[in-house]
Amino acid sequence: MSEMFNQREPVYLQVVRNFKEKVASGELQPGEEMPSRRELANTLGINPNTVQRAFKRMEEENLLYTEGNMPSRVTEDQSILGQVRSELMLDAVEHFIAAVKPIGVTLKEIQDKVEEQYLLEASQNGGDNE
Amino acid sequence: MIEVRQLEKKYKRKKVLNGISFTANKGEITCLIGTNGSGKTTILKAIMNLTPLEKGEIFIDGKALDRETYETIAFIPDAITMMPSMTIQGAMEFMAEFYISWNQERATELLNFFKLSSRDKISQLSKGNTMKVNMVLGLALDVDYLLMDEPFSGIDIFSREQIASVFTSNLVENRGVLITTHEISDIEHLIDKAVLIENGKVVTEFNAEEMREESGKSVVDVMREVYQP
Repeated sequence: MSEMFNQREPVYLQVVRNFKEKVASGELQPGEEMPSRRELANTLGINPNTVQRAFKRMEEENLLYTEGNMPSRVTEDQSILGQVRSELMLDAVEHFIAAVKPIGVTLKEIQDKVEEQYLLEASQNGGDNE
Repeated sequence: MIEVRQLEKKYKRKKVLNGISFTANKGEITCLIGTNGSGKTTILKAIMNLTPLEKGEIFIDGKALDRETYETIAFIPDAITMMPSMTIQGAMEFMAEFYISWNQERATELLNFFKLSSRDKISQLSKGNTMKVNMVLGLALDVDYLLMDEPFSGIDIFSREQIASVFTSNLVENRGVLITTHEISDIEHLIDKAVLIENGKVVTEFNAEEMREESGKSVVDVMREVYQP
């Protein structure tokens, strides 16, 4: 059902982040029509009021726009799309730094390791990551 | 809104409800949580006037309960109340006879949703399917409020998921739902509000998302604090 959700973090924020990841990865295209709130609640197996709240937040952050009575669409504003990408990247990097800090490695070691691992994984995935 | 004020109830000398007060809003799913024997079912029965109370008041949308307000509320007990020899079709006809608010169109929609056949006999259904029929009979009433007693209890995971998905669908849209459960983990993401009960009293009530946002706690976390201090 809702295994993708963490029980301790507000679910609406998890929905927003999930949306941002899909936008950054291109799974959701700029201008793409969003499912209705009810549909999304049903697909995700979560409370419709929570989805409503997530939509409200995404509209406030200008990630979505709604014209009149039409379904909401993903923003086409390039500066916002760029922001989403850098925000997600910063988030991931912060998590990463927090995770490696206790191990007590130098920045140089980290940089080398990241590069090595990144290239290794890219080659294993058939090099389709750019 | 269903408003319950200071309910008190004794079974013989045992106090089951000891000043229970809480509210359940329309358009929201409110969950009464408590261990077995904490008085959850008694509260639902009290709202439905199925059990006499020592004290306390119950209001639906600000009005005391009377014949009219009972048309706006439905109770789905934890076991089906139809004759086992009836077919699902027979049970639906029985409901149509008794309730003005019976909506056959919605009942048919629900049967399809649960993949049930109206020709099946109730006595021959599995436990999970019997509970689904029970849900159909309650959900097909055009009422503003639905009370459900342990809808997830003792049935397999897929049936539970199916029943849970009713809550996110248009079949429940805009209605107020009050459910009881002692297994919350399955439905944490479905509920708006949790009301925790112990020894016939409300220990705490909170909005699940607000709890996550303000304290980083899941409903189960709060339950641990309350029930296993």
